[in-house]
Amino acid sequence: MKAFTRNLMLGAALSMSALVATPSFAAEEKTQPILGITSSALEEFGGREGVRAWVESLFYYIMLDNRIAPIFREFGNVERQTFLNTQLEIMVLGGPNEYQGASMSAAHADLGITMAQFNAVVEAAYNACERNVIKYHTCNQLINALAPFTADIVTR
Amino acid sequence: MKGSKGSGTRWIKGLAFVALSMVSSHSWAGLYDDGKVFLTGGVFTVDGAGGGGAVPWATITGYETRDGINGGVGFTYVQLPNYSLNFLGGSIGFFDRFELSYVNTKLSTNLGNVDTVALVASVLNLDNNLGLDPNGSNLHMETYGAKLRLFGDAVYTSDSYLPQTAIGAFYKVNSTKEFVKTLSAAEDKDWEAYMAFTKVFFRYSTLVNLTVRYTSANQIGLTGFGSCDNGHRNCNNDKEFRVEFSTAYLLQKNFAIGGEYQQHGNQQKNKPVDTGDLLAGDGNGGLLNPIVGGLVGGVIGATNLRDSLVQNESDWYDVFAAYAPSKNYSITIAYLFLGDIAVAREQNGLYLSLHATF
Repeated sequence: MKAFTRNLMLGAALSMSALVATPSFAAEEKTQPILGITSSALEEFGGREGVRAWVESLFYYIMLDNRIAPIFREFGNVERQTFLNTQLEIMVLGGPNEYQGASMSAAHADLGITMAQFNAVVEAAYNACERNVIKYHTCNQLINALAPFTADIVTR
Repeated sequence: MKGSKGSGTRWIKGLAFVALSMVSSHSWAGLYDDGKVFLTGGVFTVDGAGGGGAVPWATITGYETRDGINGGVGFTYVQLPNYSLNFLGGSIGFFDRFELSYVNTKLSTNLGNVDTVALVASVLNLDNNLGLDPNGSNLHMETYGAKLRLFGDAVYTSDSYLPQTAIGAFYKVNSTKEFVKTLSAAEDKDWEAYMAFTKVFFRYSTLVNLTVRYTSANQIGLTGFGSCDNGHRNCNNDKEFRVEFSTAYLLQKNFAIGGEYQQHGNQQKNKPVDTGDLLAGDGNGGLLNPIVGGLVGGVIGATNLRDSLVQNESDWYDVFAAYAPSKNYSITIAYLFLGDIAVAREQNGLYLSLHATF
């Protein structure tokens, strides 16, 4: 009887955590890079606050780059972008999926992003890592996890 | 008559317009592209293609993306105990899909035994046959290359094991025909083909490349292709598949260290330098015997000299560091383990390469 109750409670706890882990609004899935990413990647980024700080640096460098700044100025609300990107990066780095934005393909479908513009954001990402004193090897874990979105984002 | 003259003028005008638009900054601004990520086009190889130091990769040279054109020029200097090599060339990448390359290679020898043969040959007025220079003989080769990317992606599809895959070919023309023949090669010009597979494993910040080359080259073609018995008899120039491997670990976004392996054939193994009558005698050293006795005071006989002219070839290894301070230039420093090259043993030495991209 005691064992049964414990099992029941465990089951309830599991189903509740499952509910939290797969919120209905999530519109993008975690990527599956080959060989995975290092398990401590999120921690090495400085946790949630570290990722948030990195995303702020990312947009600082993006808005300084004439190749891509106009796109973000026209189509993106940088404050909202920072909020959503923090959620996205936490997810792909192995944290919970709390991403509230549109899927990568839906968000970029009409923008006609070129490979060179995409790579300019990659350059900004590395610059942001350097600015936030995140090791190159750790930075590559994020690049690894975001790279599979390339085909969804680059449409031209 | 009048009509044909008019159309001729139109032709010239049309050509002039095409030529003008080729050089006008506006049309180039549309095609010029340097959007690729650091070092992902590879550096300048000894064959001219984009890749590591010796191994061509599946990546397309230059910093262009699929929307444009980019390329550059490269210079490489190699200093070995008995040889020094210069490579000067350029390569252009089109739409991250296709690549054209050219490299002009000069190898200078510093070989006492070959110089002795050349000196004796010139005394006997045989120098035209052997292609040797008593003051140090040179080999000269030009390499034309093309590469086509087939499928796969080295960088972006990090969720797939499918590597970037390309096929390529080189046409190599050795203009020092007599010297190459003296080294017992069957041909002084030939083609070779390769297939390359490249993948970046971001998890470990590492690039891995495998290349399979179909070739009959001796020392990448610098000492010709295939081999013959002395007297240019029983020539064999059958091509074979050889394996090449390179890996690069990225320490920084613009700094990589790594190593390479390149399988070589050994078709000229134990083939003496073909000096015709000069060293042809069995045991008595042929024509050279009495002359060498006088020249070097009998310290070595012609037979010993002939033994020292036996050739061998080894697989190549190297370790390198490549640094790209900006997208406009990269510097590669390597240490080469090239083993036996022709008549010289243990040729290990320094490699310095500059690649300027526009």
